Amino acid sequence: MSSNLDAGPAEQPQSAVERLHVAGLHAPTDAVLSVRDLHVRFNTENGVVHAVRGVDFDLLPGKTLGIVGESGSGKSVTSLAIMGLLPTTAEISGSVRLKGKELLGLTDKAMCEYRGNELAMVFQDPLSSLTPVYTVGTQIVEALTIHNPTMSKQAKEARAVELLAMVGIPSPKDRLRAFPHEFSGGMRQRVMIAIAIANNPRVLIADEPTTALDVTIQAQVLEVLHTAQEETGAAVVMITHDLGVVAGMADDIMVMYAGKPVETGAVDDIYYNPRMPYTMGLLGAVPRVDVAEKSSLIPIEGMPPNLIHTPTGCSFAPRCPLASDACLDGEPPLAPVPGSTLHHAACIKSGALGGEVDVHDVFSAPPVPVSRFDAIPRGERAVVLQLKDVRKHFPLSKGALLKRRIGTVKAVDGVTFDIREGECFSIVGESGSGKTTTLLEIMEFHKDQDGEVVIGGISNKQAADARTKAAMRRELQMVFQDPTGALDPRFTVYEVLAEPLQNAGMDKQAIKKRIMELMKLVGLQPDHVNRFPNQFSGGQRQRVGIARALAVNPKLVVLDEPVSALDVSVQAGVINLLDKLRAELGLSYLMVAHDLSVVRHISNRVAVMYLGKIVEIGEVDRVFDNPRHPYTRALLSAIPVPDPHVEQTRERIILRGDLPSPLDAPKGCNFATRCPVFAALPPAKQEKCLTLEPPLEPVAPSAAAQALAAHALPVLDQRFACFFPDGELDEDMLVVHESADHHAP
Amino acid sequence: MTNLNAVDPAAVAQDAHLENADVIIGKNTIIFRRFMRNKTAVAGLAIFLALTVFSFVGGYFTQWDKETIDPFNIGMPPSAEHYLGTSQAGIDLYAMTVEGTRISILIGLIVGLVSVLIAAVYGCTMAYFGGKVDKVMLFILEALIMMPALLVVAVATSGGGEGLKRDLPSWLLLIIVLLVFSWMGTARLIRSLSMSLMQRDYVKAAQYMGVPPRRIVWRHLVPNIGSLLVLDITRGVTGAVLAEVAFSFIGIGIKVPDVSLGVLIGGATSQVQTFPWMFWVPLTVMFLLTGSLAMMNDGLRDAFDPSSSSSGSAKNRRALKSRAKGKSS
Amino acid sequence: MLRYLAKRGITYVFMIFLTTSAGYFLAVSSLKPALLEQERIPRPTPEQVANSMRLKGLDPDLSPWERYVEWLTAIVTRWDWGRSPNGAFINAEFGDRVWISTRLFLASIILTLVIGVALGVYSAARQYKFQDRVITSYSYLAYIVPAPIAYFLVQLGAININETVGERIFFVTGISTPGMEPGWAQFVDMLAHYAVPTIAITLVGWGSYQIAQRQYLLDNVNADFVRTARAKGLTRNQAISRHALRVSFIPVAQSIAFTIPAIFAGGFFAEKIFAWPGVGSWSIDAISLQDVNAATATLAYGSVIFALGAILADFATTLVDPRVRVQ
Repeated sequence: MSSNLDAGPAEQPQSAVERLHVAGLHAPTDAVLSVRDLHVRFNTENGVVHAVRGVDFDLLPGKTLGIVGESGSGKSVTSLAIMGLLPTTAEISGSVRLKGKELLGLTDKAMCEYRGNELAMVFQDPLSSLTPVYTVGTQIVEALTIHNPTMSKQAKEARAVELLAMVGIPSPKDRLRAFPHEFSGGMRQRVMIAIAIANNPRVLIADEPTTALDVTIQAQVLEVLHTAQEETGAAVVMITHDLGVVAGMADDIMVMYAGKPVETGAVDDIYYNPRMPYTMGLLGAVPRVDVAEKSSLIPIEGMPPNLIHTPTGCSFAPRCPLASDACLDGEPPLAPVPGSTLHHAACIKSGALGGEVDVHDVFSAPPVPVSRFDAIPRGERAVVLQLKDVRKHFPLSKGALLKRRIGTVKAVDGVTFDIREGECFSIVGESGSGKTTTLLEIMEFHKDQDGEVVIGGISNKQAADARTKAAMRRELQMVFQDPTGALDPRFTVYEVLAEPLQNAGMDKQAIKKRIMELMKLVGLQPDHVNRFPNQFSGGQRQRVGIARALAVNPKLVVLDEPVSALDVSVQAGVINLLDKLRAELGLSYLMVAHDLSVVRHISNRVAVMYLGKIVEIGEVDRVFDNPRHPYTRALLSAIPVPDPHVEQTRERIILRGDLPSPLDAPKGCNFATRCPVFAALPPAKQEKCLTLEPPLEPVAPSAAAQALAAHALPVLDQRFACFFPDGELDEDMLVVHESADHHAP
Repeated sequence: MTNLNAVDPAAVAQDAHLENADVIIGKNTIIFRRFMRNKTAVAGLAIFLALTVFSFVGGYFTQWDKETIDPFNIGMPPSAEHYLGTSQAGIDLYAMTVEGTRISILIGLIVGLVSVLIAAVYGCTMAYFGGKVDKVMLFILEALIMMPALLVVAVATSGGGEGLKRDLPSWLLLIIVLLVFSWMGTARLIRSLSMSLMQRDYVKAAQYMGVPPRRIVWRHLVPNIGSLLVLDITRGVTGAVLAEVAFSFIGIGIKVPDVSLGVLIGGATSQVQTFPWMFWVPLTVMFLLTGSLAMMNDGLRDAFDPSSSSSGSAKNRRALKSRAKGKSS
Repeated sequence: MLRYLAKRGITYVFMIFLTTSAGYFLAVSSLKPALLEQERIPRPTPEQVANSMRLKGLDPDLSPWERYVEWLTAIVTRWDWGRSPNGAFINAEFGDRVWISTRLFLASIILTLVIGVALGVYSAARQYKFQDRVITSYSYLAYIVPAPIAYFLVQLGAININETVGERIFFVTGISTPGMEPGWAQFVDMLAHYAVPTIAITLVGWGSYQIAQRQYLLDNVNADFVRTARAKGLTRNQAISRHALRVSFIPVAQSIAFTIPAIFAGGFFAEKIFAWPGVGSWSIDAISLQDVNAATATLAYGSVIFALGAILADFATTLVDPRVRVQ
């Protein structure tokens, strides 16, 4: 990009007109927000970090721009620079114009006139973004007071109630006096949105607004954002790492890498015709929840560059499979893609990367690994883990002086399933559904548990002595969610990996040999064994965690959200590795994950949990393609798909409210309070849901199929717990966005 | 998602060094280097060591000792004969200061070290057992915090010439009483820290591997609270020195004929006007002692925690500089 | 909330009982008032001493346990804390002295808190600037000086001022000049007596508050909710003063639990040095006079102050932090 003044000499000078178009969007005459040549530098202990290196874009009224990138790509810094919220030590240059008025260089005080008024922002973490000591009402009213000093107290209060109602908070008038800690994360994010739209902003910046939330809540919040945009007619800048989230919302997309936009264009251009290898890689790195594909994901090897050093060539070249010597000679500018005026890519080969090129060829995705167990029918494989009616109840007590028990939290309530050799079994559900507690119950493995856990033929009921327990520990190992927290910061990788081996009583020489094997197995350089965890990237740390789990050759590995803490491009590498290990070593996995796309990609069977119970279980493609339980349907429909056409036209079920408190759960079906089928049922049938608990029953083949078949059909591997799986869905909970151009005011 | 994928640049820089030198630098070496880079801390360490050496060998540089009375030099200001002058009774101040410094340092070191040891054992026991044991031990701890230490010190050191008092020198008695009342805060800190460490994934991972609890405590817990322990030792030493001086100053700690900095300072208060050196000399030594300890403590804290205020201030100083540059250009 | 406070109250009453009992046993076994009596001239016979002690309820021939039961019964049934070896009643003495101590400390505690917190906020706002460095260095300096020595130095300073001016502006000992007529003159006299001890205690005390408040505020200056407040249209300083400040008071409020007893403990030294006849100097005198009952009473007083501090801290925390206002 020519706007980058200190870039290499290889750049050709461009005319002013061209410069205005570098962002590849629109002429800026009617733009509500236009950013030109934005640079941000920070002084750190190690040198000057050039976090944003030349960002240009124009945002038209009512339109949505999606900024996509991984952590460290400069997307959040860009948004904070626009808002004028960066620390004063940051050096910012370029131009940010809001309705033609220059914002850069304004004093903090002068900026305040725009912030919260015409320019508003929603932040990532709703839990820490509200002041804990003030009521929600006070905080909303404050936003109104700052910009409308003359507004009467009653009017402000009325407006606050109106705003809370608009973002879907029930009984808004009472909730005004509640403190932030009395709200759930999703509700707090709604309050944040209410604050942001309080003064009808022209531009609303949302920085990863749903990253910290459950998928069902994410769907609700995205819907609220959508409503907010419709109500205010604001232009939206949506910052995210999730290509699915913006697919349905955005009109234009800007992909950022190493502080620079590397590809910009209309949604369809980016998703269906990407011209920059990084974008192609990102799209190939995310699994799809709606496709039963069985091809490997695209891993993008390596790490993003260190922004302390000015790149001399294309910053993506070290990770790009197509890189040639020419790529190292100066940073390529963001240039129009041949045959298009609005679509720009910063790649010297963008012309050659037309629609026909397959990402899998470009990035040489590994072949799909085949396990030796895949050919054997499930029923003939040995059982490695069996749970029989496992329960975990916590007493819930209240009162300070005299504790009185007011109920029981049924975190896990009668869970039964088994895992066979060579298969991956996943448990999905919202946070609070009991999936992690189930894992912990398996890991605890002691005699006094309610229910039976059998691991490799050893039952917890006979796990009295240390030797049985040790035998069980060799069968079962665990990989944790947060790879940083799971490794002792004071241990080198060698020590980390040696710990389970020493514990198993191996001698020094054997340990050394085994560690070298393990390093190679998980794709780490064996000579890195002397490093400390903080010298690795997140993906590498997770590989160390996997290697540690595999050290004692377990049959079953428990994976607790193994990739949710990782960046998209790194995620793919770890998922592929897990897939490969399962096939090569004949491992079985028990995985807990909230990302259903990942689950679909890697699992053979899946269980959906809701409030401690399994509501649907079965073969993964059956459950995902033909969900029977309304909760499964809602969960699946909440997952955004990185495909704009599908996203813009599909029907979505938006569940109401949060996961209910276990105390409020009805006697019958737990899900009745939020069920879209239940809401549409006649009262007579509702009665059944409320009083009887639906049993987990197999899906019966349809009557027609049964009639056609000469003999009894085999029972399908899918069971669910619902009385009315074919019931109509309540229309209020269904949302369809008719057309792509739904943002028009 | 924010910083997980970020690689610690300092660690990478150190890594480059690693590959060249082909040696593994231990964590302790890094901490030692950070400490040595902190000028204040090194100065503190130097002063403290100098005082300690002085208190042990200083006595050989003078012919006087803390008991001999020089009848020809009573209440004399510093001179060649008596480097720091003499007291009203004609005792050499230099000799008394050497002796007093030694007693003060001794009290500080013993109380600082032993109280942290007690705290570590007590705190880890509470965290490890939890439940009822924890509750009872916490109650005892809080009850001890409630006892006004000052009064107990006073009672213990001024009893009616019975039992302990008669058999033990007053400085040992003071050490015992200070020990009883100095470990509770640290113990509480260690308890909460160990409890949170027990929840860490790497401790869980070790448990799930079947590593025995004893080994988990030794390999994972102790090294991770180690920095806190070292910090608390320096803090404890400072606290003990201060307490000794304070108690002796008002006459309830060390009793004559034993000498300590507190006794010297306290004894001189009534004659500040007439024999000023008797007051200011031991006071200066005390300032050097507590000040050097505080400086070391500061440096150690920064060495253990790279994100603490010292690196923050460095960052800010640089930022200030760059801002100043921005203004001038 | 009230139930919670009640529960805490009961726990503390139990703790006070335990510490006081422990203190009584310690005192009774190491303090021997009879020995002092025997040094009188003319020297009384041991029988005379024992008799006079028995009359005051200090029978040296009884075992510590028997004396403890007797002492406890008197307190529980008649709220009688016993007598001193010189015959004075603890209850009467105690009332006067508590009042003197409280008057001395109350002003100091309030000043310490207010100045410490205010300077903490001020220095945080000017982090690493000259003012911050001076204020924070002072606080560290205050940390390495033992309290009684600091008081003594302040006293020296006041004497110096008096000498320089050549007039007695400050009184460095005592609580009032005897024989003053009530009125303006007495008020000025009171101020002159109060000034030096109050200033001394405050000067030494505020350091730890300043450092803590500065740290807590700096911890919150870059909090997410401050960023939210700025995004609403508040300037950085407004956002900090309206949002971060209030949140940074929470840990300060919690720390009251330990600083109020600390100030009282410091007050013991202050009373001794400034010769104020409060509880603190009484306790030290009592010990040197081998007065078991007075020593135990002052010890109980210390425990009560600690419990009060803890409850006050709970209360203050509830006031500033809505998250602990349960139910």
